[in-house]
Amino acid sequence: MSATGTITDVIALLKSRIGVDGEPVTATIEAGHVKRFVEAIGDPNPRWTKEAPPTFLVAIAPVSLHMADAEVYGTGWLNGGNRFEYLAPVLIGDVITARGHVADVYDKRGSSGAMLFIVFETEYTNQRGEPVARLRGTLIRR
Amino acid sequence: MSAPAIGQELPELVKNPTTRQLVQYAGAQGDFYEIHYDQAYARSVGLPGVILHGLLKAAFLGQLVTDWLGGRGELVDFEVSYRGVDEPGRPYRCRGRVSNVDGNDVELEVWGEDESGKRTTVGTARVRLS
Repeated sequence: MSATGTITDVIALLKSRIGVDGEPVTATIEAGHVKRFVEAIGDPNPRWTKEAPPTFLVAIAPVSLHMADAEVYGTGWLNGGNRFEYLAPVLIGDVITARGHVADVYDKRGSSGAMLFIVFETEYTNQRGEPVARLRGTLIRR
Repeated sequence: MSAPAIGQELPELVKNPTTRQLVQYAGAQGDFYEIHYDQAYARSVGLPGVILHGLLKAAFLGQLVTDWLGGRGELVDFEVSYRGVDEPGRPYRCRGRVSNVDGNDVELEVWGEDESGKRTTVGTARVRLS
């Protein structure tokens, strides 16, 4: 198979998975994990001993899917952007389930060469089934 | 603190990320992509060396917003776009200003600057004052 064929195939494969949820991941918001996270980002706000800081949910479950399949395209990954929507506080001890899917796949050819864009969406719910947050992220393969 | 007004600047937050911090963050988030800790690998994919995680820069900007907001309200949404790479060992300045006020809904324009003043991350946060 030619490289071009492979790239067309991988885009078609990823497109075929748009909207299909990946396996849900459930995790407890652990005080120790949040502590390591806020130490890593250097945010000493005491609020984070009770509650998860704004970007913490990315640490409880993978925020992307099918990445290995896309690696035939280009040589490296870049993060294009993230959007968090907050619906309810995420507290230490909450049990959060993350459900993610691919929302869009497209490629672009520009001055810096060809790039493949994969948009992922993840919805997070708590132990009462309440939605707490949504995350949208764009990963770029180039 | 006075009520937010359009144009008001947020107190600047200056971060001095190190390679050690990138490893800490990689472990805490669970993102083990080599461009964040393996210099040779990072260069092999065309980068100047290891670079900051986009989501680490997002976390810095999140702190900028929550430090400014304090207990006055809640974050509604927060969006960031990564426009350039940043290397450890260099200061990373997080800045922002109030871009809109509609009753208790306040919109903030936030960005991260590298040493040269280039905005390598730009974003928007919306908060609701209580």
